[in-house]
Amino acid sequence: MSTNNVLSHTPEKKNNWLAYHRIGWQMLVRRQELIVFILLLAAGTFLSLRTDTFLTSNNLFNVARSFSWIAIAAFGESMVIIIGGIDLSVGAVMALAGLITAIGLQSGVSVIWAILAGLLTGGLVGWANGILVGRIRLPSFIVTLGTMSIARGITFGLTGGWPVRSLLQSFRYLGQGDLILGPWLLPIPVVFMLGIAALVAFLLDYTVLGRYIYTLGNSERALLFAGINLTRVKILVFTLCSSLTALGGLLMTARLGVAAPTAGIGYELDIIAAAVIGGTSLFGGEGSIWGVLLGAAFMQVLRNGLVLLGFPAYWQSAAIGGMILIALLLDFWRRQRAVP
Amino acid sequence: MKLKLLKALVFPLLIIMAACQPPAARFSAKPSAKPTTRDTLTIAWIPKALDNPVFEIGRQGALQKAAELSASGPVQVEVLYVGSVASDAAEQVRVVEDVIARRVDAIAISCNDPTACIDPINRAVLAGIPVMTWDADSPQSLRFTYMGLDNIEAGEAAAKLLIQSMGTKGNVAVLTGVPGAFNLDERINGFQQGIAAYPEIQIVTTVITNDDINMGVQALEETMQAYPNLDGWFFAGMWPLFAERGSMPLWEDAALNRGMKTVAFDALPVECELLRDGYLSGLIDQKNWSWGYDTIQIVYDHVVRGEEFPPFVNSGFNIITSTNVDAMLHAWEMNDFSQVLPDP
Repeated sequence: MSTNNVLSHTPEKKNNWLAYHRIGWQMLVRRQELIVFILLLAAGTFLSLRTDTFLTSNNLFNVARSFSWIAIAAFGESMVIIIGGIDLSVGAVMALAGLITAIGLQSGVSVIWAILAGLLTGGLVGWANGILVGRIRLPSFIVTLGTMSIARGITFGLTGGWPVRSLLQSFRYLGQGDLILGPWLLPIPVVFMLGIAALVAFLLDYTVLGRYIYTLGNSERALLFAGINLTRVKILVFTLCSSLTALGGLLMTARLGVAAPTAGIGYELDIIAAAVIGGTSLFGGEGSIWGVLLGAAFMQVLRNGLVLLGFPAYWQSAAIGGMILIALLLDFWRRQRAVP
Repeated sequence: MKLKLLKALVFPLLIIMAACQPPAARFSAKPSAKPTTRDTLTIAWIPKALDNPVFEIGRQGALQKAAELSASGPVQVEVLYVGSVASDAAEQVRVVEDVIARRVDAIAISCNDPTACIDPINRAVLAGIPVMTWDADSPQSLRFTYMGLDNIEAGEAAAKLLIQSMGTKGNVAVLTGVPGAFNLDERINGFQQGIAAYPEIQIVTTVITNDDINMGVQALEETMQAYPNLDGWFFAGMWPLFAERGSMPLWEDAALNRGMKTVAFDALPVECELLRDGYLSGLIDQKNWSWGYDTIQIVYDHVVRGEEFPPFVNSGFNIITSTNVDAMLHAWEMNDFSQVLPDP
């Protein structure tokens, strides 16, 4: 640290103060969640002041419920992005997993088995993605584009375009029910989201596998030289991603009480956007689960806010796109200021 | 090793190609000469998309009419149901080209895009294959007629239905699908014209669903949150109504306990049940079944009997209220929509 005697009579103290300041600033700027947290806070404050409907527990829990399945899928997606890949099949996997469970329920299978079948279907798609990307070394973009088409095609093939309805009440409870927590009614999907966020964050931050995942995105060669089985890590990450996505799809199906073959079309973009807004780098090696959760929350708060404000429907898509770009630009600014 | 790599490359490519291929491509172009004295009539009946169940209802109507005509007349009528999986103009153009290559005898199509359809329709007509449009027109093409709904008239009818149940004043919200969809905009225009004479009825907001059930449910509940004293809704489609009861607590509560009224398009069984149980006050049925049943008749009359049709054939619509909803539900149960519904 260079001294600066000109500006201060008590150079040591001043320098210390500056140094602390700088360290504090760096710690702040290096947090991947920083920008999205500030934006979320700003949007929340603005909406609370402008409308008397935003800051009600009813509305906030509704918002949380409706981004929970996007967030859960985005946790998986962010792991894939951290290892330097991309998964485009997530929207279709959400629909397929929900549909398989719904068909299971309709044919009289018990709720547990129907749910397991849905999750397994999702996991299977992820496993196939992982094999093709990890073992055969195809680019994940093309592989998951293919599996997206296959998964979506199966939903149409199985249903002929008709949604599957009349699902059991006990299954719908997973999506529509609430957990009583003191004065609040916490929606069950939100409970799932928080629990899974904690688990995935633990996996990434405190386990060897987590370290492999981050290293894989930064330097594949380092792991290769260390004799790590990269293929297995990749297969595992893709399988985890699709399994989490499948769970998200199940929760969405339970919430709506209907499994439509057209469900989740285009959701892959929302899911990837949530991950990236939350600070996950598309170049790999960087990302945090809590940031992703905030990213998903930010997107849904935007949508909710535009409706509550009575923003013209035809302009909403442009407004959301603009806000996403602003979030990304601000995050870019943060990265430039963070000393590696 | 090299072989493995080659396989690895070819395999996913094949998958993608297979997945991307429109179902029509499965039929190869048969080099069969057309019979001079016609004993078969093959009609390609092309919907906007295969992923929308309302077209499936139309298909059943088409198949029934084909069976009736085949049983009564000397000509065997065959319906070829082909289309792109999702609503996609470019994909649909390819489907039309495929059926031209297959030398079908006539085409009946619901156009995803009026302009994109001009060229393939004209090429079919020049190849000697008469084309008609239904549900969604391509007015500048050489199609011989268009059978469809007057969406403005139907929107006005929806407004009338809402006023009947809600009265001549109140705050109303509008729910639509993808912003800019021509038919939906026409319905909303019609609805606006219908309420124009009543200055005390106000449209407070218009929300979009992007044709997605989940987004529809969210938009509906958020709007109920923003406007808790809303008096009425006009749904230009039926998106959120696919969701099970209990998924839209605010809307359901307002409908059942606060006297809020909702009028929606289409009359699928789930909507009829909601109407019967008091959640909805009226439905505009587009007669999806007739899309198939009537178009096959028109094509038959034109090709076999040489009849001419005006450029626009109004297919009309049914108005469903609590007085005739049971008849509609009965039609669904029997899967037969040939009977005329009782007046609303």
